[in-house]
Amino acid sequence: MNKSSTPIRRTLMLMMFLSSGVVLLVTSSAFCAYEFLTFRQSSIQQLQILSRAIASNSTAALAFENAEDAASVLTAFKSDPHIVAAALYDTKGNVFAAYPPGLAAARLPSHAGTGYTFGRSALTGFEPVAEGYKQLGVLFVESDLDAMYSRIKLYALILVLVGGIALSLAYLISRRLQPRLLRPILALAETAKAVAERHDYTVRAAPTGAYEFDLFTDTFNQMLTQIQESERKLHAQLGRLSLLQHITRATGERHDLPSVFQVVLTSLEENLPIDFGCFLLYDPTSKSLTVSTVGSIGRGFADKLGLSQQAEVPIDANGLSRCVAGQLVHEPDAVQVHFPFPQRLAAAGLRSIVFAPLIVENQVFGVLVCTRRRPGAFSSGECEFLKQLSEHVALASHQARLHGALQQAYDDLRQSQHTVMQQERLRALGQMASGIAHDINNAISPVSLYTESLLEREPNLSERTRGYLTTIQRAIEDVARTVSRMKEFYRERDSQLTLERVQLNRAVQQVVELTRPRWSDLPQARGAMVDLQTDLTDPMPDIMGAEHEIRDALTNLIFNAVDAMPAGGTLSVRTRKATAADGGARACIEVIDTGVGMDEDTRRRCLEPFYTTKGERGSGLGLAMVYGMVQRHSAELEIESAAGRGTTVRLSFPAYGSSVVPAATAANAAVVKRQLRILLVDDDPVLIKSLQDTLEEDGHRITATYGGNEGIEAFAAAMRRNEAFDIVVTDLGMPHVDGRKVAASIKGVSPRTPVILLTGWGQRLISTNDAPAHVNKVLAKPPRLHELRAAFAELIT
Amino acid sequence: MRLVLVAAAGLVVCMHGLRAADAPTENQVQAVFLYNFSRFVEWPAQAFAQPNDPFVIGILGSDPFGARLDEAVRDEQINGHPLKVRRFRSFAEIENCQILFVDRSEIARLGQILAALDHRSTLTVSQADGAAQRGVMIQFATENNRIRLRINVESARASGLTISSKLLRPAEIVGTDARE
Repeated sequence: MNKSSTPIRRTLMLMMFLSSGVVLLVTSSAFCAYEFLTFRQSSIQQLQILSRAIASNSTAALAFENAEDAASVLTAFKSDPHIVAAALYDTKGNVFAAYPPGLAAARLPSHAGTGYTFGRSALTGFEPVAEGYKQLGVLFVESDLDAMYSRIKLYALILVLVGGIALSLAYLISRRLQPRLLRPILALAETAKAVAERHDYTVRAAPTGAYEFDLFTDTFNQMLTQIQESERKLHAQLGRLSLLQHITRATGERHDLPSVFQVVLTSLEENLPIDFGCFLLYDPTSKSLTVSTVGSIGRGFADKLGLSQQAEVPIDANGLSRCVAGQLVHEPDAVQVHFPFPQRLAAAGLRSIVFAPLIVENQVFGVLVCTRRRPGAFSSGECEFLKQLSEHVALASHQARLHGALQQAYDDLRQSQHTVMQQERLRALGQMASGIAHDINNAISPVSLYTESLLEREPNLSERTRGYLTTIQRAIEDVARTVSRMKEFYRERDSQLTLERVQLNRAVQQVVELTRPRWSDLPQARGAMVDLQTDLTDPMPDIMGAEHEIRDALTNLIFNAVDAMPAGGTLSVRTRKATAADGGARACIEVIDTGVGMDEDTRRRCLEPFYTTKGERGSGLGLAMVYGMVQRHSAELEIESAAGRGTTVRLSFPAYGSSVVPAATAANAAVVKRQLRILLVDDDPVLIKSLQDTLEEDGHRITATYGGNEGIEAFAAAMRRNEAFDIVVTDLGMPHVDGRKVAASIKGVSPRTPVILLTGWGQRLISTNDAPAHVNKVLAKPPRLHELRAAFAELIT
Repeated sequence: MRLVLVAAAGLVVCMHGLRAADAPTENQVQAVFLYNFSRFVEWPAQAFAQPNDPFVIGILGSDPFGARLDEAVRDEQINGHPLKVRRFRSFAEIENCQILFVDRSEIARLGQILAALDHRSTLTVSQADGAAQRGVMIQFATENNRIRLRINVESARASGLTISSKLLRPAEIVGTDARE
């Protein structure tokens, strides 16, 4: 409050005094002025009356020039002490007589005038002296103004007295009357002070009984009521705001949708509060709402309403449809709404309903349902709050979803990384194994060659020696197979697929035999019985493919089929011929089980990498590998399955032609009888020596060279001598110039000279068609004599 | 009224002129006094036969005033009666007049004169010594070079005249001597 403001009491008093004072002053002034004027008037009149009387009495004295008598007449002025001078002038203007006697002539006016005039200190008058109409002279009178001044003094005194009394009375009256005016104002002021200091808006000013003040008091009280209401609203708003903050914080800490929904519902039930609340999730494709989460307190209602989790809520042309369109829907009384869902709620005793949409990126993905028993129980503030809350919840849900997706992506990435690392380890291991295989194959090559040569060419060997050599040969074969298996073990994936003719029936038989422990022994140990039936069409057309990949795929399919039949069943593997839509011949393999089958979703996803239904036991890569193989072979994959009705997997390859049994024995029989000039190129002297020895024993002329360059030079020199080689046998892996370059060089000089490539990189499945350029034949190390001979026979015609 | 003022002014001028010529003589003053009496004495209504009859100032005996009196009354009126001066040689000539100045020369016949005037409302004036005591209503008496009036109120009252008290103030009241 302004410290300089004066209390109303003092102001009122001042007003009273001022107004009384002014009234008094004006009245007194008017009175005084009137009195003054009338006093002057009456003074003149009195003086005139006196003068006229004297003048009248003086006529005879003037007329008959009796100065003594005139003087005695003038002495009549004695009766008025204020007359200070008087004189009679005759018609000639001479002073005839004067009063008081002995008055100096200078004191008198030099000549007679007319009328009465007020001077500063005197009232002077000239009265004609006439008898009848005959003027005889003039009477001069001078009166002092003492009377007037004394009268003025008296008036002033009276004024002061009256004023004092009046003001005193005014003070007393105002003292008496002020409280009647001030009490209501002071009471109001007190009330206002109480409100301002204690913020207690429940106090009310009491009515005073005075109309204007009561009007004022009523208005004041109305204002208080409004403030009280506003404050109540503010408190409610603050409460809701803090609830919103609480919920937002709580949802921020949670990253899964059900948990977010649950914490929101619990907070609403406890703090808003609501009687029943639930979240419905909206599926835009099927246009349906399903119950996602139900508040814990309102679970009783949920049971009554049949709104348990995953229950579907139909969207009819009611509030829900509007809500799904993105509007907040508030039904103050569900009984009045003739639609099934509100009626359901109303039947359960929930009359007030609010549906708040959950919107993310302009798409409604769910609905927050809040209800209360009492009709009209949701204020507009609460509706607004629920709208805001639903926006927060939508955001939190969106974040939870994003978080889930992120987590999934992260998990996938980690899995991929794991797989890649695994593959990398295998690749490194494979490279190492490949190197080891090369070295072992090189190392055992002379052993293999000499052993074979000895057994073949030395008829005089003792039985013991022959037995030993045979054992050595078998051991070498075993070593070669072991090295080969080692190679298979790491399954090096060549960047380009090398295809060869594959007999599907044979592959099937091999795989069935290989997997016997899995489909026969293990289930039996569990007490289950898998009946494996093979139904092979014979003859089947061959296909072009990588046999090991096909075998792997079949293995996986059989494993899957067995896993699908934990209680046993029938597993059928069939091969059959088919005709494609374009008329091309197809060779099919079918793996059929009578197991649990797959539902639609699983069937749709079963080819995805890392997708598995086997939990920890499965890598999720089996069918993915099968699919990869199918893709690489331009084949087709069909999966027929239904939950509980078993699965049929069909692989359909393009047919290559009729299966021909390789004429191995016939080839073996063909031996080149004539002497051949053979150029050997290798970087391993031991291998060269052993090859040279064995081939020379066959009667061929051998030129051995060390390394690619030497070989190329030797071939060129021989060409120049016109002693061209009949055939060139070169190692693949050599420093500086490898077998491929040697072959290219020789073919550049002599295109018709056959080149045989020896490779120590394991027993790779390389079809002759896909042999490196310029190479006629690829043979694996360790080289076998009978293989070399067959190759010579094949290439030298 | 204007006329009066003009007359008064004229009188003043006249008197001023006279005084300028020489100091006013006793007779001059008496002439003015004679005229002035008309204002301080009230005549009964029967004093005039007609309302517009002249107010006559009569002079009996030798005239001491001469033309001065004529000048003094010229154009003057008393209550609507024009003033006139008449001169009588003897009392037998006396006609109706409101003021009669009895000169010293005629005082010896005063008894006859007064008797002749007995039933007339005529103010009698004289400058003769003792005239007032002998029944003349107003007598001019000279004292210390000043003219004083002696008034016989009884006489005046007997003639039905009322003399203003104002006139009586500066005057000396006398009664009729018993020896007459």
